[in-house]
Amino acid sequence: MMTRRNLLRLVLFAAFVLLALGVLPEAWRGWSVLLPGLSPLLSLGGALAARSAGLLTLLGLPLLVLPLFKGRYFCWRLCPMGFAAETVSRLNRRNAGLIRRVPFVGKGLALLIIGSAAAGWPLLIWTDPLCIFNGFFAAWRSPLTWLSAATAGGFVLILLASLIAPNIWCHRLCPLGGLQEWLAQLGNRLRAARGPAAQEAPTALSRAHAGRRVFLGFALGGVTGLLYRRFGLQAAAAAAAHETAACERGQGRGLGQGRQRRERASGEQDTGGHACSCGTEHRLAIRPPGAAATGFNALCARCGNCMAACPYGLILPDLGTTGVDGLFTPVLAFRSLNEQQEQFCFQECTACTQACPTGALRPLAVARKQQTAIGLAHVCKSRCIAWEKHEYCVVCQEYCPYHAIIEVERNGVMCPIVDADKCRGCGACESQCPALPIAIVVNGRARQPVLAHPSPQL
Amino acid sequence: MNAVKRRSFLKTSASAAAVGAWQTTPLGAQESAAPAATVIVVHGTDIPKMLAAGIAKLGGWGAFIKPGMKVAIKPNVAWNSKPEQGGNTHPDLVRACVLAAEAQGAAKISLPENTCHPEKSTFQASGVADALKGTQARLYRPAKEDYQKVEIPKGKIAKSAGVPKDILECDCLINMPVAKHHSGATLTLSMKNWMGSVANEDRRAWHRDGLHQCIADFNTFIRPKLVIIDATRIMLTKGPQGPGDLEHPHELILSTDPVAADAYAATLFKKAPFDIAYIQLGHEMGVGCGDLAKIKVERIEA
Repeated sequence: MMTRRNLLRLVLFAAFVLLALGVLPEAWRGWSVLLPGLSPLLSLGGALAARSAGLLTLLGLPLLVLPLFKGRYFCWRLCPMGFAAETVSRLNRRNAGLIRRVPFVGKGLALLIIGSAAAGWPLLIWTDPLCIFNGFFAAWRSPLTWLSAATAGGFVLILLASLIAPNIWCHRLCPLGGLQEWLAQLGNRLRAARGPAAQEAPTALSRAHAGRRVFLGFALGGVTGLLYRRFGLQAAAAAAAHETAACERGQGRGLGQGRQRRERASGEQDTGGHACSCGTEHRLAIRPPGAAATGFNALCARCGNCMAACPYGLILPDLGTTGVDGLFTPVLAFRSLNEQQEQFCFQECTACTQACPTGALRPLAVARKQQTAIGLAHVCKSRCIAWEKHEYCVVCQEYCPYHAIIEVERNGVMCPIVDADKCRGCGACESQCPALPIAIVVNGRARQPVLAHPSPQL
Repeated sequence: MNAVKRRSFLKTSASAAAVGAWQTTPLGAQESAAPAATVIVVHGTDIPKMLAAGIAKLGGWGAFIKPGMKVAIKPNVAWNSKPEQGGNTHPDLVRACVLAAEAQGAAKISLPENTCHPEKSTFQASGVADALKGTQARLYRPAKEDYQKVEIPKGKIAKSAGVPKDILECDCLINMPVAKHHSGATLTLSMKNWMGSVANEDRRAWHRDGLHQCIADFNTFIRPKLVIIDATRIMLTKGPQGPGDLEHPHELILSTDPVAADAYAATLFKKAPFDIAYIQLGHEMGVGCGDLAKIKVERIEA
């Protein structure tokens, strides 16, 4: 039945789908942040956790104020995820009563998210419906693979759940719905306190009851957030230690251990016939530019916006290389991880940094992006055709926008070395390295340092 | 078949030339009087005027483009770099050439360019996209389906390559590189410019298998009617991408012989032509004449 309400919802649904799909003209694509940004859990929660607010943070305010006066108006009239879930729920009228036995998990979830965000490491922020909706439509981009479509999973799960237990999402599970439910109650109470209540005034008992629950919810969120933070920081420290080790091994800075020391001692012969220690097995994942230094996995809502925003399809959902809590967070896959990929993180592009609703990726200006190192390239000499086969090559030097490849003459041929003080890890070198297998690969960095070396491209 | 005979004959003569190059070159011995190639060097600051003057010296545009012809131009527009940085062919030169082709009544003008940087930014930053506004020319980065695999019969290492169809099917092919430093090949001039045409996997294979020989191999196959090297400003260091140190010779180098044009251009960088291996190989394989002693350099002012 096409009532006016449903018509509005359909139009909004279509508009939000277009935004998330990224099919709009380029000038409009920046608006992709609008939909997930509308959720206060993402925009305000993210700002709370990252301890930094921007213009984007304001996006979440309307949905914080509206429920005080209008209850869950957004849920029943505007929310695209709710529209999809409700539509699917209609297909199964027999089980309509099933949800009565389920408590309103979403209300607890909302408190948990806010409490843990206040502790700096938001938990389960990715259960936000606008983010899940966005993640589904942002995934439809070419080349479409099982991996690139990973962020679409939440949407499918919600629809499946709605089919089995109708309306379970909006009425029982949704944290954004839960948040608005709390706010609506608060609004009612404020109105009741101000004047002769038209509605039934809540009793003192239920008031205390609700207050206790809210407190417990926040407290639980805060404690779990702190715990998460503690273990998250430990993991980050381990990653940083690993990076230093990789750097020493790869770049030959400082004294290496074991074989490497022997190699260096043998001078000219240092690369002959050795298998390189720079295998892919221990590589640190590369985050998009502007990634938060700590708590990235917690802050990232998996909305898929950055992945859809990347014009070169470099950003893919991670499958666990960034820790158990890093599932489906964005990582860059250059050519050594994705054979089809011949592009790199282009120095003029900041698209992904502008698309993040939670501040897991900070918006970067082009100048700042060009000073930010997302990774560090490493030459594997035993694979390099200049080092190993004495062929004229240095394609890595050709492509490097930051002049970070130092050329060393050896047997009349220029051979590449990476200058760690200049390398931004953009992957330009890796994108066209002719060696088989690729002889120059980029490793991620645990933190993204801002380099002092001025970008030659500015 | 006759063609095969001719081909194998050329092969033998090319290798004979290669052997002979160390002694007095047999080619030169036969035609000692006439120069083996002519290079027109136009000095000036107004690029369209310089181009017109140079072409007039070569017999006018009519000698190259006839009405209804399909024209393909290969500029070097590979990098996200501004015109004054010398990383790409100057947009004024590309525009002047396209306008001339239009005036000659060309049916189709295409500029396929396999850019190294993302094409949209590259075409924009280089100024070439804007320079071509209002013309019928199409500047584009070839997609996979725009390439055709071709055999290189005289290739010693590179035996085949993916080449944009517009280049294979044109009636008049113009090579329009910018002269600049190149980390891998020492200099990039006209012969090297074709690496910006071939498919990425060929580029990579050429680096693996012997860059200079592969460049020379491909040049035995691809025969532009006209070579115009942009040496209005030349990048001396940090090439091919730059930005690097610049010098401003204010020259356009025109020739119908790519090897001769490259040989002259190398002197702008104070290099002997045969210090650049692909020029020597091109000379030896009969692509053109790289011996400065046998090249007639005509200098004009415009």
